[in-house]
Amino acid sequence: MTENNDQEEFALDVKNVSHWFGSNKVLNNVNLQIGHGQIVSIVGPSGCGKSTLLRAILATHPPKRGEIWSDGKRVRAPNRDVGIVYQHYSLYDFLTAQQNVAFGLMLDETSLPYRALVPWKWWPQRKKHMQAAGEYLDKVRLSHAKDLYPNEMSGGMRQRVAIAQALIMQPAILLLDEPFGALDEATREELQLMLLELYQENLQAKKDNGKPPFTILIVTHELNEALYVADRIIGLSQFHDDGKNGATIVYDKPAPVFHPNDERDFLAFNAQKDELRKAVFSPENLQQHAEYVTYWNEQKQAAT
Amino acid sequence: MLETIAAFGRIAWAPIALLCRFLFGKVREPIGAPAKFALGVASILVLIASYSLLSYQRHQENPRDTTVPNASQFVEGWQKVIPKKDSPTDWFDKQQRKKYLESSWLYVDVIASFTRLFAGLSIGVIISLVVGMAMGCLPRVEAFFSPTLSFLAKIPPTAMLAVYFVLLGTDFELFIGMIAFGIFPTLAQGIYQAAKKDVTDHAVNKSLTLGASQMEVIWNVVFQQVLPRVIENVRLQIGPAMVFLIAAEWLVADEGFGYRLRMQSRLLNMNVVYIYLIILGAIGFLMDLLLSWTRRKLSPWFGE
Ligand SMILES: Nc1ncnc2c1ncn2[C@@H]1O[C@H](COP(=O)(O)OP(=O)(O)OP(=O)(O)O)[C@@H](O)[C@H]1O
Ligand SMILES: [Mg+2]
Repeated sequence: MTENNDQEEFALDVKNVSHWFGSNKVLNNVNLQIGHGQIVSIVGPSGCGKSTLLRAILATHPPKRGEIWSDGKRVRAPNRDVGIVYQHYSLYDFLTAQQNVAFGLMLDETSLPYRALVPWKWWPQRKKHMQAAGEYLDKVRLSHAKDLYPNEMSGGMRQRVAIAQALIMQPAILLLDEPFGALDEATREELQLMLLELYQENLQAKKDNGKPPFTILIVTHELNEALYVADRIIGLSQFHDDGKNGATIVYDKPAPVFHPNDERDFLAFNAQKDELRKAVFSPENLQQHAEYVTYWNEQKQAAT
Repeated sequence: MLETIAAFGRIAWAPIALLCRFLFGKVREPIGAPAKFALGVASILVLIASYSLLSYQRHQENPRDTTVPNASQFVEGWQKVIPKKDSPTDWFDKQQRKKYLESSWLYVDVIASFTRLFAGLSIGVIISLVVGMAMGCLPRVEAFFSPTLSFLAKIPPTAMLAVYFVLLGTDFELFIGMIAFGIFPTLAQGIYQAAKKDVTDHAVNKSLTLGASQMEVIWNVVFQQVLPRVIENVRLQIGPAMVFLIAAEWLVADEGFGYRLRMQSRLLNMNVVYIYLIILGAIGFLMDLLLSWTRRKLSPWFGE
């Protein structure tokens, strides 16, 4: 990766982002680049500012300092290139699963006057949207539930629909804020597998010299999950030498890549988990963290 | 001593508790459809029976009593309100038909009152919808309207009759204005609260990431979400709207339910009065049914 400076290269480029609420300094000069097709986990102590960082990237609450770029475009307001799945309330109550997934296509590709004034053009388009939505529901294994309303679905089903709803937009980057936090263990595992399957599609696309379709940034407080679903793991923490001015990225390394059929062997994570606990979660370790922020260097070395 | 009283109390209470349990069942105890229907019919029968008893007693005392009319007096009353002319020889002759129908009090009054009611309600609903939605979505509009609206909502519209006389005269406009502005403060506030509280920031932000424009957020997200609540609020305003209409008609109309009720109650023609009350109740009930049916059709996700 020699053309790292080229912004087009990154699905997401967070530049010198700082944020604070009054005297509560939360984010301290965060820098983060994510390449297309990566699935990146963010971990960090509770309250360190992970959600604040996601809101800054989404631009619903733009950062007080710094810039967010996505796919070479400056992000100043919420837009169709940055997707989000929240932990709760992710779906529209008044739409069925399929309509929920098709919703973004409608909003993005057509306008209110268009739909009202030229319905004969809109309706056939609508049909295509619904068909595409059906395919995405297939991808998240929910084709049987396409006509259910959110209040008729379980929490896990709702999150799948929410993910399909975000993915159908093919955003430059998709943000997930503790998306499986409220789910039971079994459902959680199924959804983790779903992410691994998306990652396989990315690998396939790269092999075919195409652009990998899914770039995902996921916040989770579960270290096993973070290491299992992602190919790169980032630690955000206030436990560093300038911690009184807020949290920054203190850990950035590759994570082991799993194939959906691989055994879920979490014992293999132990070494990296210990390292994470030390670098990210330990209030005693207040030095420079350069030794833990090595992702891009490792990539460079691997390339040469 | 105290123990004796307590023991006695317990013994005395036991049969009452048993009876209550038998009559009222348990809290949230499910009830079958036939039982539900039977109890509904029973309630109407009780009403009719008590009325008949009262009427019977009054007529024992004074056979010419008109305050609590009996069946034959009701038949007389009914004959007063239906067409007095012979039915037209040719139903397709507009002139003939009109003459015939307009010889009926009931026809004239229903047409007059319900034209006013529908016109007033429609205008009131449209204004409330625009203002309520704008307030719920746009904080600037909210800040502008909310003090005035909460203040206006506290003035009883019937107390403002004089103001309406002065501003709108005593014709059609008066009734429309009375109903529309009578229901406006409460209805607008209901819609405003729903638009503000039933739609989370997440839902709005999510739609922006799906490419929604500002108008689409208002129409495709907020409005769709609050539609069933809007309809519920309109349902609740049918009663007050009728109150305002009857009050205005009582004072100034020369046709319509309020007018007829005033004239007939002055003459103590309670047979006509009761017939009018029943018809008023029946039409209100039908409007209520129609709206709840509409709500179920338009927002099937909302449940009961
Ligand atoms: N709207 C707000 N106003 C004031 N302070 C806020 C606001 N939102 C967040 N904070 C503060 O910012 C800090 C970071 O919060 P944030 O929600 O980003 O943490 P988090 O890393 O997502 O935590 P968790 O793991 O518990 O979700 C906290 O100290 C919180 O109190
Ligand atoms: Mg959070």
